[in-house]
Amino acid sequence: MRRVAAPLFAVTVALVLADSAIVTLALPDILQHLHTTVGEVAWVLIAFNLVLAVVAVPTAMVFARNQPRFLSALGIAVFAGASAWCALAGSIEVLIAARCLQAVGGALALVGCLELLVAAYGERRGLTTWVTAGVVGTAAGPVAGGLLTEAISWQAIFVVQVPFAALAVPAALLVRGTDALTDDRHRPAVRPNITLALLSAALTAALFLLVLLLVEGWRHSPATAAVTVSVVPVAAVVAGPLARLLRTSFEVEVAVGCFLIAGGLAALAIPPSAHLAWTVAPQALVGLGLGLTVDRLTAHAMEMRLPRAHHAGWTITARHVGIVVGLAILTPVFTGDLEDAQVPAQEAITSLVLDAPLQPEDKVEVAQELGDRLTGERGRVPDLHPAFAKADVAPEDRAALAQLERDLDEQLERAATRAFRDSFLIGAGLALVALLTVLVPTRRRVEP
Amino acid sequence: MTGVVSRAGLPALAVVLVAGVLGVQLANGGGDFEPLQPADPCVTRPVTSQAEGIDGLTEQLVLLGVDGAACRLDVSREALTLELAQTDDPTDAQVDALRAGLHDAVDRMSEEGTLPKASELTDEALDDADLNGFLKGAIRALPGSVVDAAVKTDDVLHRTIDDLDLREMLANLDDPAALDRMVEPAVTEAVRNSLVDRLKDLVPGF
Repeated sequence: MRRVAAPLFAVTVALVLADSAIVTLALPDILQHLHTTVGEVAWVLIAFNLVLAVVAVPTAMVFARNQPRFLSALGIAVFAGASAWCALAGSIEVLIAARCLQAVGGALALVGCLELLVAAYGERRGLTTWVTAGVVGTAAGPVAGGLLTEAISWQAIFVVQVPFAALAVPAALLVRGTDALTDDRHRPAVRPNITLALLSAALTAALFLLVLLLVEGWRHSPATAAVTVSVVPVAAVVAGPLARLLRTSFEVEVAVGCFLIAGGLAALAIPPSAHLAWTVAPQALVGLGLGLTVDRLTAHAMEMRLPRAHHAGWTITARHVGIVVGLAILTPVFTGDLEDAQVPAQEAITSLVLDAPLQPEDKVEVAQELGDRLTGERGRVPDLHPAFAKADVAPEDRAALAQLERDLDEQLERAATRAFRDSFLIGAGLALVALLTVLVPTRRRVEP
Repeated sequence: MTGVVSRAGLPALAVVLVAGVLGVQLANGGGDFEPLQPADPCVTRPVTSQAEGIDGLTEQLVLLGVDGAACRLDVSREALTLELAQTDDPTDAQVDALRAGLHDAVDRMSEEGTLPKASELTDEALDDADLNGFLKGAIRALPGSVVDAAVKTDDVLHRTIDDLDLREMLANLDDPAALDRMVEPAVTEAVRNSLVDRLKDLVPGF
């Protein structure tokens, strides 16, 4: 039974934590399908993280008075049901409500799966599996969401979660050796949780903003964006063995991880062009930093602290408060910068059209079509291709028209990249603040 | 010693990696990947057109004219173009600046010797002119030197620019036929007035 059940619990943990960012690449599709606004659709992301942050600790306290396996099964069932409800949602209000319920079930499932994994594998291995599953889920969420959205639909993101979670329900009920938790004996580990919150805010910049830049700014498909951002989880997996090879202390490892995330985000702020290759090395830095920090901090915040579920609750709260704070800080910055980028983008486009080697009447026709495209998509990066598809130019001018389209697309890419710069730099700043929390010396208690 | 190397190994590696990635990004133009900056409209720049004849001349004059107007208004030509394209009611200052810019453009092309002679535009102008066939044939039969002596391109253009209702033209930018209906009488009137003034100069008391 343990062979089947424990991996199911690990998958459930990965699914719940993947859900914090899994819809990032699906947001444009959801926006279109549910006929909503950018401000409302952002709540599909925010609501889940906010509810998870708020209910994680109270949920862990409920576990203290009840049988973990029953509560775990209940949480996983609620999570599965709410995931199905998300897939069936016909309006943005229903989807947000379903996401809130999904987060409540997710909180119960997360804390419960920790107890179930410890029961199945023992304290050390159970905790390691729980932490690792969470890191893998967090890093792989946007990738999985992007691929599912591109291959099937945004609803598929939620549908695929249902069978895994549904299978974990009976598995949870069958686990033996889980008892009600002991009374709280240790205070929450403040410093690792603060570092975790700051890093989660910074990582929000990496995962959330990067996929938005790739899809909305550089106009790549969600699948291409998903494959591109897979560099982060791959690098995160490599980080562990690398750190073990160099045998460093916890503090050094976390400090280096924060520094790598800050460096990666700063590099993402200054790509030399919109070629995807320029994101690979910065993402690798972020991934290495993620691999060195999040699992170590989570484990450190829970290590030797009882009851472990309470401290697991605090780490979940810290992470998701960080994500919500990251979104709260970064969303207005990049949406404002995207608005501000419209004027320089329009001026650059005007300049290129005025000087284009085309017949005057063709310039006027293209300019009118471009005007419609630019004013029709306020707040979003427009797709200029329809304006060129409509242009009827002489065969000898088609090459010049195609070159103009390429040049204008590059101007839009430049404007979008510039618009995301400040947000990436703020993310880098958050990672540096996280680094400070590690570097500040611990105040030692004086023994009486 | 081994412990120091071990402790310093990971931070040193991280510094090298971050410095390397940032260095490569910056060395390849990272940080400069920004939208094209509008050029200073007060700085002279070459203006060309893919079109020939009157269309080509008009395009060059408009491009130079917008530059001149933008320079007068202390904005970029791109900002002025967008403003004019997005408003139905341009300000007096914009219209005046545009007219002055067009005059400057004629002067500049005249000084550079890039204005075509009147005889080079006669055939094309007559094709579109609302004149009877006999008159068109008679004008076409005139030697080019006579046409050029009688009609100076820069003079006709200055007169046309003065006569044009630029505000109405700006309101009809998306309607080429309407623009033609406005420009054609203005050019015809300018040519007629230019000829009358030339005759006045040649025949005192005319």
